[in-house]
Amino acid sequence: MTIDYSMLESGQEICRECVSLDADSVAKYTDAVGDCSQLTSGDNAVLAPPMAIAALALGAAINALQIPGGTIHAAQDLDFKKAVAVGAVLECTATVGQNSVRRGWRFLVVNMTAAEQEGDVVMQAKSTIMLPV
Amino acid sequence: MQQGDGLPTIEKRVTQAQIERYADVAGDFNPIHLDTEFARGTQFGGAVLDGTIAHGMMILAYISEMLTMAFGEQWLNSGNLKVRFRSAVYPGESITTFGNVKSVREGDGFSALECAVGVRKSNGETVISGNAHVNIPFDN
Repeated sequence: MTIDYSMLESGQEICRECVSLDADSVAKYTDAVGDCSQLTSGDNAVLAPPMAIAALALGAAINALQIPGGTIHAAQDLDFKKAVAVGAVLECTATVGQNSVRRGWRFLVVNMTAAEQEGDVVMQAKSTIMLPV
Repeated sequence: MQQGDGLPTIEKRVTQAQIERYADVAGDFNPIHLDTEFARGTQFGGAVLDGTIAHGMMILAYISEMLTMAFGEQWLNSGNLKVRFRSAVYPGESITTFGNVKSVREGDGFSALECAVGVRKSNGETVISGNAHVNIPFDN
């Protein structure tokens, strides 16, 4: 189904998805970014890199939005609320923040929240992306 | 830490293979990161080294790694980042993170640090710039 981006309204839910921070997924992430932090990488790491959470949350949102090729990431705000253990399963929710067109680009602000199954919010984020119009 | 203190720097060289691994783990398969011919048709085209560009979030992860090195678990528990992506990083380019403590305020049992942070290429071009905040308990 093709998405009409002009119809996205502030507050509209984009997606709600569970993401797993299992050891294999975290290892693949730390390998991909070359994370050398002793706290969050390596065989003995027990905490997930906070940017892994952000990456998975944003990935869920951009896939739900079927973001077109050529989309540019313009800005990013992140609030890490709580360290997350490797093995955690988080519920990631994305909603439309703002939607506007200027200078030949659609500026879309996507608000994201990641929460543990017990309900504690571990991350809040705001991504500003530019879609070609 | 005190106002003016520098944060540990991290140097990375970005490769296309790394970009492809990142696309897979993050679920971001925007062809601007993966398809040289597509990327060359965008405003990022014409680069000497290659046509694709690295994911902004991949480069931003280096800043978070720098802040984790500097502040440990407190970064994971209280970190705040607010950045803008200024320019693209192409495969084959080397980048370095930078950061310094702008201010230290005392809160109720903790110090609230504000840091200027970013990433630069080896030619000095700024890739990412912004601010980070973190709270460090007095007994930390």
